[in-house]
Amino acid sequence: MASVFTAPPLADNGPGYSFKQTPTTHISADGTRQHSFYPYTDNGGSTLGISGADFTILAGDTRSTSGYNINSRYVPKLFKIGGEGPEHTGSSIVLSVVGFAADGDALKERLDTVVKMYKYQHGKNMSVAACAQRLSHILYNKRFFPYYVHAILGGLDEEGKGALYSYDPVGSYEREQCRAAGAAASLIMPFLDNQVNYKNQYIPASGYGHDLQPRKAELLPRNTVEELVRDAFDSAVERHIEVGDGLQMMIITKDGIEEVYSPLKKD
Amino acid sequence: MNHLPQAWGRPRDDVYGAYDHSYFQTSGPKQSTQQPIVTGTSVIAIKFKDGVVIATDNLASYGSLARFTDVKRLRQFNKSTILGFGGDVSDMQYLDRLLLSLAIRENYSSYSSASDDTDDTSNLESLNAKNLHTYMSKVMYRRRSDFNPLWNQILVAGFGNDEKPFLASVDLLGTTFSSPSLATGFGAHLAQPIMRKVVPDEASVANLDKETAVQTIRDCMKVLFYRDARSMDKYSIAVVTKDGIDLKEDEKLENQSWAFADRIKGYGTQVV
Amino acid sequence: MAVSCTREVLLEELREAAVDVEARVAALQVEAWTRSSLQPRGGISRELCYDLSNSVFSPDGRNFQVEYAVKAVENGGTAIGIRCKDGVVLALEKLVSSKLLKPGANKRIATIDRNMGVVSAGLLPDGRHFTSRARDEAAQWRRMYKAPIPTSSLADRMGSYIQAYTLYNSVRPFGVTCIIAGWDSEAELAVDGQVGSGPTVGAGGKVDKMKHGGPFLYMIEPSGSYWGYYGAATGKGRQSAKSELEKLNLTEGTLSLEEGVKEAARIIYIAHEDSKDKDFELEMTWVSSLDGPTKGRHEEVPKKIREEAERLAKKALEDDDEEEEAKAEGGERMEE
Repeated sequence: MASVFTAPPLADNGPGYSFKQTPTTHISADGTRQHSFYPYTDNGGSTLGISGADFTILAGDTRSTSGYNINSRYVPKLFKIGGEGPEHTGSSIVLSVVGFAADGDALKERLDTVVKMYKYQHGKNMSVAACAQRLSHILYNKRFFPYYVHAILGGLDEEGKGALYSYDPVGSYEREQCRAAGAAASLIMPFLDNQVNYKNQYIPASGYGHDLQPRKAELLPRNTVEELVRDAFDSAVERHIEVGDGLQMMIITKDGIEEVYSPLKKD
Repeated sequence: MNHLPQAWGRPRDDVYGAYDHSYFQTSGPKQSTQQPIVTGTSVIAIKFKDGVVIATDNLASYGSLARFTDVKRLRQFNKSTILGFGGDVSDMQYLDRLLLSLAIRENYSSYSSASDDTDDTSNLESLNAKNLHTYMSKVMYRRRSDFNPLWNQILVAGFGNDEKPFLASVDLLGTTFSSPSLATGFGAHLAQPIMRKVVPDEASVANLDKETAVQTIRDCMKVLFYRDARSMDKYSIAVVTKDGIDLKEDEKLENQSWAFADRIKGYGTQVV
Repeated sequence: MAVSCTREVLLEELREAAVDVEARVAALQVEAWTRSSLQPRGGISRELCYDLSNSVFSPDGRNFQVEYAVKAVENGGTAIGIRCKDGVVLALEKLVSSKLLKPGANKRIATIDRNMGVVSAGLLPDGRHFTSRARDEAAQWRRMYKAPIPTSSLADRMGSYIQAYTLYNSVRPFGVTCIIAGWDSEAELAVDGQVGSGPTVGAGGKVDKMKHGGPFLYMIEPSGSYWGYYGAATGKGRQSAKSELEKLNLTEGTLSLEEGVKEAARIIYIAHEDSKDKDFELEMTWVSSLDGPTKGRHEEVPKKIREEAERLAKKALEDDDEEEEAKAEGGERMEE
């Protein structure tokens, strides 16, 4: 998935840094140059989500970039969906978007409107599962001119368990235990595989060779998950230039959404 | 002269040949901007405790030609909101007219802005800078989605709903962001680091006074003139505060010093 | 023809159905009505026959629908406009139809373009439609010419628009008379969206001390006819307002805007004497030159200035009353 952002969208054999601006000048065989407008850009940054037994945590850094420039050190990638007023009171669903920020904002506003309309028409809040399905449709409907974003949707399901859904730009989606997206997804995801789903962890002395028993994944407690998120971002900041400045976390529990901001390295 | 009125006043076919209609195409593929033509360079702006300072130079370039030298790229929207335009000048003019029509429509319902002078809110408009930035972002995003972009990056300066200083950017893709200091184009490379030293974060805005903010902007304009080949030493600067906008459109860079120039080596013909 | 056919059918049906007295009476009424409207010569009144449809003249050259529209205007609250030497004032006697209406809300004087305002007397919704159309005209002009519409052109366009509503059977004329006030900029205006200042000398350069524009005042009637005025008044109290306006000698062009505001308030108060039983609010707007108080824009008269003008207006009225009483007393003494 991350290759969508790290590979240049047009046929180009150059190195695929995500911060590279896509060339908009096309030179034909006869030497004529044609400029064309490319409607996307990558604003960098990373997001991640992890769900637990009775909570879901979404997190994202707050840096916005264009090329090697930092646009701003505080541009949130996490949005409360379906709440009332400027404070989004009563919201219980969080959307995180990373990729092309303008598309991300447009997508956020579409989904927010849909969830609000659902509430006004049916007199009850939309379930996360329904919202997840709807988000998929919104993305899929624009598949020929996609929202260039990797979305992650989080909330609590109808049994009160943490629910986390991740999407590709054209609406393919899946409920997962954890997911990292954006510029540093390739750095964070293997870490989560190991620390959340216990991939490549084995029970010591449980056997030799192929008999060695893999450690069974379990639902993690909230403070462990929060530590994992911080560690993941602290590490990503060290190795990826597009990640940094601040960490925004939203923790969805039965009591609502708790928002936490903590600084990251600004270099 | 013949008896066909539609031919009167037209080049005669027997003298000039038949008119080549391919020059005037009314059909064919829809055309839209693929590149900016006459352009303005950087816009820079910085927030301070009571408002925002914003500046642009007065140049409109045609490629590398300094084509127009008295182009005002700071456009005032109302008593407390001003926009700085970088990029294509014709698109700026279109947006300026769009904003004028918006301002007139806003005025329909609130012509009583001066009615209550006992109140201190006489400077508050129905659309503040934050509202206007949202509007601009929708216009720009819509146009990019129609593959017919308005080739600008715009800084919007004024006040937000909380009556705190507001500064935000929107560009031809509809990308938006806000920061204590902002700069477009070359300014993002040259001016932004200077301004970030003065206001590294949102909290430091409250400690910045107007004089320091104005001086920082003037210093940045000088740096930009030194190193941006598409810039000029005549510029416009505006200070937005609660008392209104102080817009000066005919400023000259003072105290230029090119002493640094002879220390630059390795450019052009100079190799040693 | 279709109308008369249905009427005849209806008549026939009624005759057949007229078994009781009531139905017979109804049939007779319909018969009388049918005859009167179809055959002018045999009608009740020679003139009334031409008043049911728009766009039809009476034999002596009147259009009754338009005249009825004027009647509607004459019932509306008084509206006036004064063209002063450095601006224009619009004032309105806004009759308050209910105590439940919020004071100061429901503004009746509208802004058309930045430099122009309109006030109307007569049917409120017709006035709003007029405003809406005028705004569209002004905006369309700006799109075309990248400059504000001159007041005279707006009056001309709106006059044509109103007039069109006297031509067709499917519509009725506007039940409003509108007063348009505008300040056409005296400065050389930048074209909308202009970025530079242009050459200072030579071809296309600035002409020194060239003056254009100024204050303008127009009034458009339901017939579509419009005139430029020094002082205009319409609505219920127009007669007394007009005679007061005439006393101001506006043709001399000496009245200042500040004085004009006070006079406007006074005139509205005088005009209100005709309908003293009703409550009213004074609504006033003005538009001045670029160096005047509104900087070439149409704005509401600031609260302080309006209240001062109202105070003076009330005082002037009281003084007048006392004078009259004194006169009356003096007269009695003379008789003695």
